[in-house]
Amino acid sequence: MDFAAAKSPTRKVFAERMTARGDTDSEFVVFESDLAKSTYSYIFKDKHPERYFNMGIAEIGTVASAAGMAAEGRNVVVCGYGVFITMRALEAIRSFICYPHLNVKFLSSHGGLTAAIDGVTHQATEDIAFMTTIPQMKVLVPADSASAAAAFDIALDTPGPVFTRLMRDPLFELYGPGESFKLGGSKVVRKGKDVTIATYGDMVFQSLLAADELAKQGIDAEVIDFYSLKPWDQATLAESLKKTGALVVAENHQRRNGFGYEAAVWTLMNNPVPTELIGLEDTFAESGSYPITIDKFGLSGPKIAAKTAALVAKKR
Amino acid sequence: MENPSNLSFDARVDRLNKIAQELRMHVVDMVYTAQSGHIGGSLSAADFVAALYFDLMNLDPANPGWADRDRFVLSKGHVCPIWYAALAVRGFFPVEELKTLRKNNSRLQGHPIATYLPGLDASAGSLGIGFAQAVGIAMEGKLMRKKDYKVYTVLGDGEINEGIIWESSLAAAKFKLDNLVAIIDINNLQLDGTLAEVMPTEPIDEKFRALGFDVLKMNGHDMADVLTTLMKAKRACSGKPTCVLAYTVKGKGVSFMENQLDWHGKAPNEAQYTQAIAELKGAA
Ligand SMILES: Cc1ncc(C[n+]2csc(CCOP(=O)(O)OP(=O)(O)O)c2C)c(N)n1
Ligand SMILES: [Mg+2]
Repeated sequence: MDFAAAKSPTRKVFAERMTARGDTDSEFVVFESDLAKSTYSYIFKDKHPERYFNMGIAEIGTVASAAGMAAEGRNVVVCGYGVFITMRALEAIRSFICYPHLNVKFLSSHGGLTAAIDGVTHQATEDIAFMTTIPQMKVLVPADSASAAAAFDIALDTPGPVFTRLMRDPLFELYGPGESFKLGGSKVVRKGKDVTIATYGDMVFQSLLAADELAKQGIDAEVIDFYSLKPWDQATLAESLKKTGALVVAENHQRRNGFGYEAAVWTLMNNPVPTELIGLEDTFAESGSYPITIDKFGLSGPKIAAKTAALVAKKR
Repeated sequence: MENPSNLSFDARVDRLNKIAQELRMHVVDMVYTAQSGHIGGSLSAADFVAALYFDLMNLDPANPGWADRDRFVLSKGHVCPIWYAALAVRGFFPVEELKTLRKNNSRLQGHPIATYLPGLDASAGSLGIGFAQAVGIAMEGKLMRKKDYKVYTVLGDGEINEGIIWESSLAAAKFKLDNLVAIIDINNLQLDGTLAEVMPTEPIDEKFRALGFDVLKMNGHDMADVLTTLMKAKRACSGKPTCVLAYTVKGKGVSFMENQLDWHGKAPNEAQYTQAIAELKGAA
């Protein structure tokens, strides 16, 4: 496996694409709550100050006021940290944006343990559970620059609320510029026949590391990037599982009520296969460096490889 | 710790100034070692945190859970380096442990978690929620236990954008929490700019007076003023909560950090670290 290091984190690429779209589309506005340097929304502000509103450190008010503007027919992009927008403003998102199906799009940065260094108060490790559970909400998690730029376009062009989880730090480039992405799509990033690793976001890279490790042990893993978590690509998973007959879901999120629960229940109801779910095991994480923290909590490539190997042994 | 009540007022001021500089050096050292953390708002709060922990608050480091102690809640939890430094130097845990800030397996989390470390009376890190907890702690002290210990809480001037501050202030006035002292660190910077740029909040004094607080003001870097004002807050028994407006400079004590937005949450490199420590030593 050989990927170029990314120059920018997905949060920045998303904000850059938002700014570029703002050049040709003057109809949408951007709301921020005093985290412009963390969400990179300042890039949009510098270019389009008349369509940018910093609402102060006030997440509920920011989200609810966005709902008000959206109710008037305007598209609003709300920028923030995953923990603060999804949890503080949850009721406003559910009842006043998703229920009336308003055009509010969320740039949600610092997803999962990518904010490891700041500690648990800043780690969005339940956001996917909250956001995928609300009816009408769409959820995207790009893993690299090409998919992050595409995620903004999908969010803006899809009617209704769309939540995009983004990462704090740059990782690796997985896709070329010609690649296309769509709502409900996925990408098979590595073909294999022994086991399917379904994953998203920063865990795509860790899963690819795991696949390299597994190859040394004679296990041929298929890795699928589910950059669209809701809706998600059931056909591609079904096809992969027909071939491999074993499912691992790896995510930087609580295991409970994450994408793993969704995918596992779906396979259980359709075509049960031996399954392993990798995520935070009903625990809070801690402050620390990103690589040490994901390894300590079982989310690193080697940890994914070990659990996957154990599952494959069971299958055989 | 020497008993400051045996000292003259001037000697108390001198002593606290020295301690505040020592705490500032720990802050710079911790954030440099971690290469992560919030220096600017730690340095602006250093003087009044020193006055509280080393002169005014009733505490027993050997018995951190002492029921009648004064309480302290750092509502602007991102500046926990100054809180951790004060607790360590005051003897709540070993000073060497400060070096573990933000590292894996450390008790010194990136934002403070109450049960992790002796002396932390509440968790914080999500702005606004610390203050509401302080109101609850003050309600327990005054209304349920009927004790007269004080509850001190420190807020950022950006933090008071949060609606929860205003909700909880109404409750503090309703329940006549004169055991509550809320210190607002007015360094005039939040994350994206000045208060006027991000969210115009002045006049802060009139707002808190209207909410039902007694409002005091002090120069947050003039230790004599800090000590006098906080002694007055400590004696409060008017039936109203007290709000102390501390006028400060973000990054205070390190020339190149003062009033610089950048130094809200940035770690110094080696050269910056060396200069910062030299400046703080020079002033100590
Ligand atoms: C609920 C919440 N929203 C946003 C943040 C991110 N944040 C951390 S510090 C900060 C600015 C705080 O400014 P201020 O209260 O003035 O603190 P100080 O200047 O003393 O550092 C922001 C927006 C947060 N920690 N919590
Ligand atoms: Mg401030």
